[in-house]
Amino acid sequence: MRILVCVKQVPEVTDVQVDPEKGTLNREGVASILNPFCEYAMDLALTLKAAHGDVEIVTLTMGPPQARAALLRTLEMGADQAILVTDRKFAGADTWATALTIAEIVKKQGGGFDLILVGKHAIDGDTAQVGPEVAEILSIPQVTYAVALELDEKRKNVIVKRETEMGYEKVRMKLPGLVSVSKGANVRAVCSFEAVLAARSKPLRTLTAADIGLDAAELGLQGSPTQVVKVFPPTVKTAGERISGADPEAAAKRALAFLKENQFV
Amino acid sequence: MHEIRCETPPAVDLSQVRCVRGRDVIASQYAPYTADESKMPGQGAEALFFPASEAEVAAVMKSMNAEGTKVTISGARTGLVGGAVPFGGAVMTLDRLNKPLELSHEGGEWRVRTEPSVTLTELGDWIKKKAFPGLKERGSAATLAALDAFRNDGKTWFYPPDPTEMSAFLGGTIATNASGALSYKYGATREWVRRLRVVLANGEILDVPRGRYHASPDGTFVLVHGDGSRSTIRLPSYAPPRAKKNTAGIYAAPGMDLIDLFIGSEGIFGAITECEVALAEWHGTVSVIQFLPDDEAALDFVLALREGLSADESLRPEFCEFYDGHALDLLRAKQQANPKSLDMPPIPSDAGAAIFFDVKFDPAAGPEGLDYSVLKRVVERCGSTFANSWACYERRDYARFKHFRHALPETVNATIGLRKKTYPTLHKLGTDLAVPDEHLKAIWHLYRDTLESTGLEWVAFGHIGDNHFHVNIMPRDPDDLAKGLAIYKTFAEKAVAMGGTVSAEHGIGKMKKKFLSVMFTGQQLEEMKAVKRALDPAAILNPGDILDM
Repeated sequence: MRILVCVKQVPEVTDVQVDPEKGTLNREGVASILNPFCEYAMDLALTLKAAHGDVEIVTLTMGPPQARAALLRTLEMGADQAILVTDRKFAGADTWATALTIAEIVKKQGGGFDLILVGKHAIDGDTAQVGPEVAEILSIPQVTYAVALELDEKRKNVIVKRETEMGYEKVRMKLPGLVSVSKGANVRAVCSFEAVLAARSKPLRTLTAADIGLDAAELGLQGSPTQVVKVFPPTVKTAGERISGADPEAAAKRALAFLKENQFV
Repeated sequence: MHEIRCETPPAVDLSQVRCVRGRDVIASQYAPYTADESKMPGQGAEALFFPASEAEVAAVMKSMNAEGTKVTISGARTGLVGGAVPFGGAVMTLDRLNKPLELSHEGGEWRVRTEPSVTLTELGDWIKKKAFPGLKERGSAATLAALDAFRNDGKTWFYPPDPTEMSAFLGGTIATNASGALSYKYGATREWVRRLRVVLANGEILDVPRGRYHASPDGTFVLVHGDGSRSTIRLPSYAPPRAKKNTAGIYAAPGMDLIDLFIGSEGIFGAITECEVALAEWHGTVSVIQFLPDDEAALDFVLALREGLSADESLRPEFCEFYDGHALDLLRAKQQANPKSLDMPPIPSDAGAAIFFDVKFDPAAGPEGLDYSVLKRVVERCGSTFANSWACYERRDYARFKHFRHALPETVNATIGLRKKTYPTLHKLGTDLAVPDEHLKAIWHLYRDTLESTGLEWVAFGHIGDNHFHVNIMPRDPDDLAKGLAIYKTFAEKAVAMGGTVSAEHGIGKMKKKFLSVMFTGQQLEEMKAVKRALDPAAILNPGDILDM
């Protein structure tokens, strides 16, 4: 089984200060780290590897050359190989251009991947778009906000425990597919010194725009149809009405009544 | 030069200095100023001064000296031996003297000059971000030029002394010659202090750069006062103990620098109003918590590091900290009760001890730049492997590892806190003894064999690299406490007999004076008192600290 874990390097947010004059982020002296949700995605990949043995974990990131550090972290954690996608031509890529590039790389990898894992979002951009977009471009199923997963007996499906606003639900997804990972119950991984040293000898390849073969118009800023207009916290949803009870007919009636009362139908 | 001229500060009327008077008001509204981390019960104060400048500090001292009122200096009150706890008289808090004053490049090193009440966390942040609040607006042309050069030198700097309590004030850490884990490589605070300004008990000021004033061959300094009179300080005749760390008693050495008399004197000679410290260049490190089969293996590991020191850079850690088997058991129990409590994976079940150390590491280097084979062999000789370790090199993980280290004393304190509910007089017994290198095993065996035979509950951790274990005895009841106290005294005597110290880093203050007589003769204690009398004839400063005058 082959798992691809897509990761991102982000600034360590506890360190970032806002410049009081310019209102911009002051990144001087700010450390870069592997996005915590990407670490949780790695955790789930490693859980499968521990349970099944014959699992190869490949990690991938798109970013500047220094994003290699984030890949090294994944190799320390237990990934088998890593791919750094870096080229000035990718600069300014929005979530769409990034997803398109990643999807293209996935298509070109020999053997493909049975499972793609991503963090639910990066703590710098907070868009939570790239993972789902990759799944859409590749036309594979996706499950978001996973906190745990396991393979079924035939290893054709994953059973994903995902968090929702109401609690948790378990869903089954056919492979190949993509899962975005939220914070699970685990304590963040700690690597041994042996793993830290061994990571530096594992395969880490670099891909450039030329290796991927997309049109220049689809890359970077040029290939980015979206722009950030405004940043604001999402509105908090009110509780709404939850219809419960064992009688489906009564529940359906109540739902219909609700829709009518609110003039949806 | 052994003569130093005292400066007379600009006169300030005492009524201009912010002050709260009245024992009851202070007790009810300003209670934190009458206590410190030792939790030692004091007797409160009649007056609480908040000077905002050196001249105001001088005005308080001059006035208190004239009327014979004792003054306890209050810093961040993070001390563990009751140094800042008043027993009547006045308290002078230096809280308001908290600004950076200057950045300079001198003697081939970067130096920062500040007022005393800058916390180590603040100082660390300023240096890390290369931004010192208000200095750009206030600084001289030379400081502005230095700031520019500092920002643009492309290197990362830090101030090495790292006592666990980073909310301590810089001035307080100098007054106590604080040390921490990094003292293993970088030495204690003393090594990093370049200049001090000190207000004496009579309100005069000494400006003491390192390297300018040295004791005369017969061991004296002479103060030349503003009125032309002179007083002679005759230094004690003893030599410092051979243990690498020591905060017991007054520093004395032949030909010593005057600045060293004030460093570690716990404020009994004067109030520090300005401090200049040097910075070191920071380089990447990896922190490793290496699990080992047992305590003996941990000791062997430390000895092997020392033996191989010159042979390989990887055997030169920045610090070298210890967890004994009991300490790991205590932490394991905490993890079992709540797996997330330590924010770490489960401690390996086969670990019987651990060493926490830090070595140079460049995360961007390829395998050829990461040769730790010598260190690896040392670990293997001690019965373990690199696979049986935790390692980190990112700042967020350093914080996590540090938290893991702090979790141990915190757990001990919490355990004692619970027992105190049944026996209110109970307290933990934490040793702070250090011995010279050659006695590492002997002192450990003494601790272990004695304590195991008594059935007391205990853990050990701390600065094994400096032969400085913190043995924490955790009495379960008053009988245990009495037993523990007697044992502590014998440990202190044995450590001193080995050429060690009764206080490697916590200081003496008011709580550990009884151990001073284990280390010094009556004659030597009298010599210390003579120094105190020369600098503070009316003995108004920090009464009851170190010496009973």
